[in-house]
Amino acid sequence: MSALGHYLEEEGLATVAISLIRPQTEKTKPPRALWVPFELGRPFGPPSDAAFQKRVVLAALRMLERRNGPVVIEDFPDDDPRATQDPTWRPPFGPAAVNARSADSLAARLEGEILQLQDAHERWVAQRRRTTVGLSGLPISECARYVADWLRGKAPPSPREGFSAPLILRFAVDDVKAYCLEAAAAGAAKPSSRQLGDWFWNESATGAAIHVLREVLQASDDDRLKLIVANFMVPAARVRSAG
Amino acid sequence: MTRLTDLPPAQAKRLAELECPDFATRPWATGSALSQRRVAIVSSAGLVVRGEDPFRGRDADYRVIPSTTRPEELLVSHISINFDRTGFQEDWNVVFPLDRLRELAAEGAIGSVAQTHYSFMGATDPVQMESHAREVAGLLKGDQVDAVILPPV
Repeated sequence: MSALGHYLEEEGLATVAISLIRPQTEKTKPPRALWVPFELGRPFGPPSDAAFQKRVVLAALRMLERRNGPVVIEDFPDDDPRATQDPTWRPPFGPAAVNARSADSLAARLEGEILQLQDAHERWVAQRRRTTVGLSGLPISECARYVADWLRGKAPPSPREGFSAPLILRFAVDDVKAYCLEAAAAGAAKPSSRQLGDWFWNESATGAAIHVLREVLQASDDDRLKLIVANFMVPAARVRSAG
Repeated sequence: MTRLTDLPPAQAKRLAELECPDFATRPWATGSALSQRRVAIVSSAGLVVRGEDPFRGRDADYRVIPSTTRPEELLVSHISINFDRTGFQEDWNVVFPLDRLRELAAEGAIGSVAQTHYSFMGATDPVQMESHAREVAGLLKGDQVDAVILPPV
């Protein structure tokens, strides 16, 4: 981020920021920044495309040799080739007929779906040799149970010292989302983030459960819990109107 | 979705109009040719090595990411959920291009890669981060770093 560049540069370190939101960078006026026309979350562009990523890194680092500053903002010219949809991609299973809005039934379906995705997730880990599941510190089955129990109205205590129950709920939701999205991306196809997001938020039982969890917990008396579920579970672009 | 104009209008407006610090100074550090520089990554993606504490909300401090960190050990704990995580899930270089820096060092395009990298949580008020950022500057200089790339998320 551009403000960090300001502080580091004042300490004598040459910096170059990657900018995803050009208006913010123009306001902060960092010493050097390379604006990239990529989706938020992808500052170096497409995954699994080392040559493209290297061009971005090098374009940024070469700005360190400029003599025409301070405040040099340049634009990277090329779009992310992985931003397009892959018509060969198929979700791990068909739409989960998630019309039911009963919190109890959705809680059970969430736990069932996480079990159902286990094979696909194992394929993902074998293929990519990594998983980003792990923020909550809970095994995935316990993550699913923790989220499901909130949906059942149980308000389970935090299992992790130093982290409040609402914060662990947030991380557990992050973990089940990551698990589902990784499982859905296992295989040779190269789905765009939108394809994966459309499946998760519109078709999966887990996505439906998180939508309902957000709606249910906003009726809580706990302001901190309400803040977390309102803002940090369902992306703004995916929030649906209640009812 | 590749540009701000492709985002939902309310989100694009909020991001474009976000209050940003207005610094009074315009620092500018120069150095040797890129082929001689030692490069570090200072991310604002809320990165954390597995097993260490994720960022809690808008924590203003930083996390240490040793160069020996493996891809399966790095997690994103940024407070915002309004950005894509599937790219990072597939390939950590989308957010943390350590493999690319190693290749550039092997090719001679940069001098070397830092021993240690750092991450902040970018949604934090920059003013709250200042003392921590200056502390990181000292640590980077102790590692002979003279070039820093600052990726957001």
